[in-house]
Amino acid sequence: MAQSTDLALRLRPEAEAVPELLDRLEAFAEGADLPAGVAHRLALVAEELVANVAMHATGASFVEIRLSLEGGQLYLGIIDDGPAFDPLEGTEPDTEATLEEREIGGLGIHFVRRMVRALDYRREGGRNCLTAVLDAG
Amino acid sequence: MQIAEIKSGGVTVAAFEGRLDTATAAAAEARLLALLEEGGVVADLEAVRYVSSAGLRVLLKAAKQAKTAGRGFSVCGLQPAVREVFEISGFDKIIPAYATRAEALAV
Repeated sequence: MAQSTDLALRLRPEAEAVPELLDRLEAFAEGADLPAGVAHRLALVAEELVANVAMHATGASFVEIRLSLEGGQLYLGIIDDGPAFDPLEGTEPDTEATLEEREIGGLGIHFVRRMVRALDYRREGGRNCLTAVLDAG
Repeated sequence: MQIAEIKSGGVTVAAFEGRLDTATAAAAEARLLALLEEGGVVADLEAVRYVSSAGLRVLLKAAKQAKTAGRGFSVCGLQPAVREVFEISGFDKIIPAYATRAEALAV
């Protein structure tokens, strides 16, 4: 049981690492018997945060993913050794805009905010540490 | 990610299969934009189980290009998880979405 509820993964901070991330999260979701909607939200939040590191933390040599399931909640940690970057400081996209006005971008962190119960950024020991908490049920 | 193309009159149905994410977005975008050069496009997402913001950006770019070129662009067959992403992003208000391919082609 403990094996199916914990995941630790270290990836190169680049788009090419996303398939492995999503494969591992799918396997985790299956092992932990998560509902399909929860599994999708978890994968989405993880991908957006990892993609963010790949895009903004130039100079990071790794991005680490730590995931655990405790008391009906998923704790997702994303850690990288790039320059200090708080993705939570970005502006929100205008989801009421028309097609012509709608800007391409800013959506990833919007999803993250909408899909998590709690979100926290800390700079610690030269690393960016993001923690997201999601409901598992 | 695989994309099957089915011609139906002047419209191409691009049937996606797999994930539309950070890793597959560039290939999907190149394909969709090339198809829009030829005519209208229906992106059939019935076999897509996962779409992230990178995938949505591709659909937004396609919708913008279609509008500029005066061509039709719609999506169909959204799975529940994909529909949720559409709604949270507000894309349900700017990109026409149909339940089935037949409905999308009937427009």
